[in-house]
Amino acid sequence: MTAPLDAAEPAVQAAGPAGRDEERPSGHGTLRYALSKAGGALFSIAMVIVGTFFVFRLLPGDPVRNLAQGRNMTPAQLDLERHRLGLDKPLIDQFVDFVGATLRLDLGTSYEYKRPVLDLIGERFGPTLLLAGTGLIIAVSLGIWQGTRAGWRRGSRFDRFSTGLSLVLWSVPTFWLGLLLLMVFGVGIGPIPGLFPTRGIESVDAPDGFAYLLDVGMHMVLPCLTLVAVVYAQYLLVMRSSLLEEVGQDYVTTARAKGLRDDEVRRRHAVPNALLPTVTLVFMRIGFVVGGAVTVETIYSWPGLGQLFYEAVRVPDFTLMQGTFMLITVSVIIMNTLADVVYHWLDPRVRSA
Amino acid sequence: MRKWFARLAALGIAVLVAGQAPAALAQEPAAGKKVLRVGATQAVDSMNPFLAVRVVSTQIHRWMYGFLTVPDVKTLQPSPDLAESWTTSPDGLTWTFKIRSAKWSDGQPVTADDAAWTFNKIMTDEAAKTANGPVVENFESVTASGQDLTIKLKSPQASMLDNPIPIMPKHVWESVTDMANYDAEKYPTVSSGPYIAVEHKKDQYVKLQANPNYWRGKPKIDELQVIFYDNPQAAIAGLKKGDIDLIGRLNPPEFQSIQNDPNIVAWNTQGRRAAYLQINHGATTSDDKPIGDGHPALKDPKVRQALHYAIDKQKIVAEVQNGLAKPADGSIIPPMFKDFFWEATGDEKVGYDPAKANQILDDAGYKKGSDGVRTTPDGKRKLEFRFSIHTDTPIEDKLAEYLTGFFKEIGVTLTTKKLDSSKFTEETGVTALFDIAISGWSVNPDPEEVLATHLCSRRPNAAGEGGGTESFYCNETYEKLYQEQLKELDRPKRAELIKKMQEQLYTDAPVIALYYTNDLEGYRKDRITSITPIPEDKGLLYGGSGYWPFYTVDVVASSAGGSGGDGGSNTGLIAGVVGGVVVVGLAAFFLTRRRKGAADERE
Repeated sequence: MTAPLDAAEPAVQAAGPAGRDEERPSGHGTLRYALSKAGGALFSIAMVIVGTFFVFRLLPGDPVRNLAQGRNMTPAQLDLERHRLGLDKPLIDQFVDFVGATLRLDLGTSYEYKRPVLDLIGERFGPTLLLAGTGLIIAVSLGIWQGTRAGWRRGSRFDRFSTGLSLVLWSVPTFWLGLLLLMVFGVGIGPIPGLFPTRGIESVDAPDGFAYLLDVGMHMVLPCLTLVAVVYAQYLLVMRSSLLEEVGQDYVTTARAKGLRDDEVRRRHAVPNALLPTVTLVFMRIGFVVGGAVTVETIYSWPGLGQLFYEAVRVPDFTLMQGTFMLITVSVIIMNTLADVVYHWLDPRVRSA
Repeated sequence: MRKWFARLAALGIAVLVAGQAPAALAQEPAAGKKVLRVGATQAVDSMNPFLAVRVVSTQIHRWMYGFLTVPDVKTLQPSPDLAESWTTSPDGLTWTFKIRSAKWSDGQPVTADDAAWTFNKIMTDEAAKTANGPVVENFESVTASGQDLTIKLKSPQASMLDNPIPIMPKHVWESVTDMANYDAEKYPTVSSGPYIAVEHKKDQYVKLQANPNYWRGKPKIDELQVIFYDNPQAAIAGLKKGDIDLIGRLNPPEFQSIQNDPNIVAWNTQGRRAAYLQINHGATTSDDKPIGDGHPALKDPKVRQALHYAIDKQKIVAEVQNGLAKPADGSIIPPMFKDFFWEATGDEKVGYDPAKANQILDDAGYKKGSDGVRTTPDGKRKLEFRFSIHTDTPIEDKLAEYLTGFFKEIGVTLTTKKLDSSKFTEETGVTALFDIAISGWSVNPDPEEVLATHLCSRRPNAAGEGGGTESFYCNETYEKLYQEQLKELDRPKRAELIKKMQEQLYTDAPVIALYYTNDLEGYRKDRITSITPIPEDKGLLYGGSGYWPFYTVDVVASSAGGSGGDGGSNTGLIAGVVGGVVVVGLAAFFLTRRRKGAADERE
């Protein structure tokens, strides 16, 4: 298999060792498989919690001194801050507190915003889901559609053009593309008018009702375009290469021999089989959706989780970084696990392997 | 063929319609309404003035709340705000302010009790100290009687009239028990300044409305919006397009990108910031024990002076700051503060003179080795210094390149050390793990705070903690002058003392001032019709102290026929129609596709 981007492979490998079940396509086997995967995921999450605690304590810089940046704080005030943040306790006690709080979903209070991290994340979740989710759907649809057509007629002009274009966009730095789009379609250059807003998710004086949806839609165009442009290549290439593998298979020849139209051979026979690696890839990408798109959100001042993470790093706001970091890792783990299970359920070959 | 045509036509309609949408959506505020939109590249950290520390937040609070005094628009000297007059006892320890009869935006009278409550809250509640704790450290007691506010000090303090604490309405705030966790997101806010906050969408915008009860009279504009951009380039794009009307705090490249825009006034005046080098001249803690790992040669004032002679400040300004700064022949107070600014003249002036720098080092016994690098007189160490700068700051990178070149001329090697901001603050302000570091300070109309950053007491304590020094400086003369200026209530006399302090810093060179950066801003001339900077004569707009520019600003009223208010239904209708057409267009597009699909199946 010539997976152009390595992202498609781990799930297949990970699915391997657990596939000891019988060949029969029983729901029972899938359940057992799913449970074992869930166990693994829980273990990973536990490790993430432990890891997060220590990684963030190893980071350079004393958070309290950092708070005092540019301000005149007496040592007594610093001590008070330390006490307030629980940093004056022994490391082991801090660890126990941290694990307990995390299990209660208490991610602490942001140094900078002085509000619970979970609240901050909650506020940002919607916008991120809207932007990154829409971007994912469009990128996947576009990638699968172009990948299928390109793979089915390998070497055609469409193949060369779409593969070439997607790879060029894949290689373009997101930041540069985003700013370019902003300059051209946001501000307007020459005959091109500045159609789209330059920032945010909505206008300051946003209208109500349907017009509001349209307003948000207008704000989404450029960030979404940037987001899609730089990532759709991976879906296209995975789809294209897995379709190429199917093209030479006997069953495709059989379908053709039956006299089916070319389109139908593709849609009914080849594509469903070729879709599997793409499905895995999509699931893993969903995990990253909650992380938002840091760069895109930053360019377009999109009030999502990516922007929050960026702000946290810029300050730096340790509790906020810690919280968003955990959120992203945990969601990736969960989605990975789901991908394994779905793959197992979708593809009988994995079960029998 | 026909199918293709139908598809194309449908797509064409959809695209066309989508293209029309923004025209229909452009939010024209209600006819005749005057709205100013200010861009900011920093989001508000808190709307609670007791907690907010970011510049953008304190700026917004300056527009919302009254203070005891504000800098005068002409002279920057303290002038009446909520305090209409004041007296001082002969010993300088008791200050009595007469609070003017004004109203809070909810109609309640402003009394001395509000001011007393605000100061006492900060003095007694640790959480309330977050933003302005040090300001009240010297307060013994604050009491109110009617409109008279009496502040008793522990020791005299000439900077009393540059008090940065906004006066809060007691009747609204006294019920707040947990100050540390109070976000103050209640709108409209009750305040006594020119504007009232009416809405805050986190990390998106703050909307302020003119305060009709404001004692100086209602501002000329109706609404002031502060709109946040994460990315400075996007904010510049927003200004060029007209999504925002004004933006401040630009750096030279950003400023140059708006200079040729016919719709934009590129605002370039003297700024409030001094940029300097901080030199580790033997850092110590407050009990005079050495701390850190500074190069021993920098303890020698001759070496520091030689470094000073080796720097071509003109060239740095021209090539690092693109000419948008003033080379420093003074110290830590920039020339815009005319009263307090000091500049070296005559023999004292250290100009660019590498020959003289070499001469000084030769005479002091720092001999050049075969590699051209000098060594200390005892021959133990080469003059190899580290230069600490921040990561991701192109201007500091460039500065480092130039300094490395200048110092090479005098046999001194400079290597650049990049640190993220928290590590930088720690190493250059507390642990003293540096030789030379970039530094700077934005000075207030009363320079007391920046002067205090070079006091002995600001060094970290014996445990190597706390402080707030900008130089680890501890000098008897400087210390004495500082105490004298604190007690000196006669402004010209105080200015003389402050100038002497700067002279001391200049000649002893624990810090070497490089340049004073200009205040760079931009605003749309098709929107803003008048705005008074502070100071009035070529002063600042956004970065200025006090609310003057944003109180006096006037903008073009939006034209009739716009939306907002009663016009809203109109836009709604247009948008609805447009949206409907988009949906129909898309439906048509997909239907033609579906039909083709069905046709395929049937074959």
